[in-house]
Amino acid sequence: MSQITVETAGLRKAYRSTTALDGVDLRVGPGITGLLGPNGAGKTTLLRILATVLAPDGGTVRLLGRDPADADDRLAVRRRLGYLPQEPGLHPNFTAFEFVDYVAILKEMTDRRARHGEVRRVLELVGLGDQAKRKIKALSGGMRRRVALAQALLGEPDLLLLDEPTAGLDPEQRLRFREFVSTSPDQTVVLSTHQTEDVAALCNAVVVLDQGRVRFSGTARELSELARGRVWLAEARDPAASLAWRTGDGGHRHIGDAPADARLVEPTLEDGYLLLLGRRAADELAA
Amino acid sequence: MSDPATTWHAEPDLLERYARGDIDHARACSLEAHLLECARCRLALAPAVDTGRLEGSWDGLVAALDAPRPGRMERLLARLGVREHTARLLAATPTLRLSWLAGVVLALGFAVAAAHGGRGERSLLLFLLLAPLLPVAGVAASFTRGVDPTYDVALAAPMPAFHLLLIRSAAVLGTTMVVAAVAALGLPDLGWIVAAWLVPAVALTVVSLALATFQAPVTAAATVAAVWVGGVLGSEALSDGGLRAAFRPGPISSAAFTAGGQLALVAVTILALLVVTSRHDRFEIERTV
Repeated sequence: MSQITVETAGLRKAYRSTTALDGVDLRVGPGITGLLGPNGAGKTTLLRILATVLAPDGGTVRLLGRDPADADDRLAVRRRLGYLPQEPGLHPNFTAFEFVDYVAILKEMTDRRARHGEVRRVLELVGLGDQAKRKIKALSGGMRRRVALAQALLGEPDLLLLDEPTAGLDPEQRLRFREFVSTSPDQTVVLSTHQTEDVAALCNAVVVLDQGRVRFSGTARELSELARGRVWLAEARDPAASLAWRTGDGGHRHIGDAPADARLVEPTLEDGYLLLLGRRAADELAA
Repeated sequence: MSDPATTWHAEPDLLERYARGDIDHARACSLEAHLLECARCRLALAPAVDTGRLEGSWDGLVAALDAPRPGRMERLLARLGVREHTARLLAATPTLRLSWLAGVVLALGFAVAAAHGGRGERSLLLFLLLAPLLPVAGVAASFTRGVDPTYDVALAAPMPAFHLLLIRSAAVLGTTMVVAAVAALGLPDLGWIVAAWLVPAVALTVVSLALATFQAPVTAAATVAAVWVGGVLGSEALSDGGLRAAFRPGPISSAAFTAGGQLALVAVTILALLVVTSRHDRFEIERTV
């Protein structure tokens, strides 16, 4: 990686008795990095800290070469930041245009004409150009997600943090999302997701977070390679196997030790992820 | 295609000056009337027009046509002289919405009714206790995660959270006090004491903001409310022997509603303002320790 734009060392965060982050070391550069992990792994807490919204209990953060613990540095980061929170609230009585325009005001876009132009641009980008004048409460869930996504794209930020950006999008919208999120090579995008397909399709780097710790950090290919020689296809399910499921074409995919009468197959990113985290992650993917 | 009705054509020099916006209004109008009729002159004009200028005016037109009509509240604020982007920030304040204000009216209406149900100054006690707490609650809610749906997005944006907080607090305090003042007109006429809630309203709101630099806004508001209610009821009870005294007809004895007490509250307000301004960085990032 040529250049590091997001770096954390020994990041810790606890809420009362729950430890959300337990010493997270992260080094991320330009391009798209996928943050993968089961529920409660600490993804949202990590993204809120990277978004300068939440202060960590311990450890250091550097974003775009600056320290968000310092007030001036934090402001400089915020001027170059786009953030989609996990559960972004929208003001239901605003129209889609008014809401994105409201965030643009918070982003210090004071010239009205330029601001309105930018609001229209991001709404077009997420495919809501023709819905701009509808009230948010009249939009479907998927459309609301896209309104929230649009505000994060305002001003073409150098650092784009997206918490579950593809949740609630249908396949066509997810494809569209993949198209526009991967345009600028200088931009650093960190997105969290449950969807291993999103990571495989989009991300040049992957970080797997589990129980507040980084379990893997590398390329998408390296994550698949973890499972090389451990993924098998068999006619019947091995009763002793803990990670095995029936595939669409009738075979049984096994991860781990070889079952009887099985042949080795090419590992996918999902196989690597499941091997890394085991049963818990598998249950969540199946759910 | 030329129009048979056209007998003259514009000079190239005239077209160029028109394209630059360099001729007077009357001549521009007459030329435009001709251009609408004459395809040959339109073709001659096209190369003279600077594309940048054309795009600029086209963008302006699109922006003007596309600019959404602001909502009811923003139009009202604009009429009051509030700038467009400040109006949008206020329109996004949950405790400036109609549902919140309706709650305020209901609560105060109840207190006014209670005042008419009793006798003497004590009948005002509920109103005097309640009116200062409503802005405290409204302000706290306006910057609480979970009440403000865009809390995270707003915090991550470069506009200082303190700036947003001040605009909203002032607006919430202002509107709540106007509502309370109107409600106070309905109170029984017992002299200046019907206005004794004004100073506490400002004082408690500022104190709760000061406290919110140390703890969560809702906790701060709850602390202020508990101390206020406890203090007033307590002093009524002490002066009259027992808590039930606070509900018996009689004069109000709490120091908060005396001239001296109100002066003290003004001093507390100034002190709290100093705390808020010196610690305002605390509003810029969430800490949970």
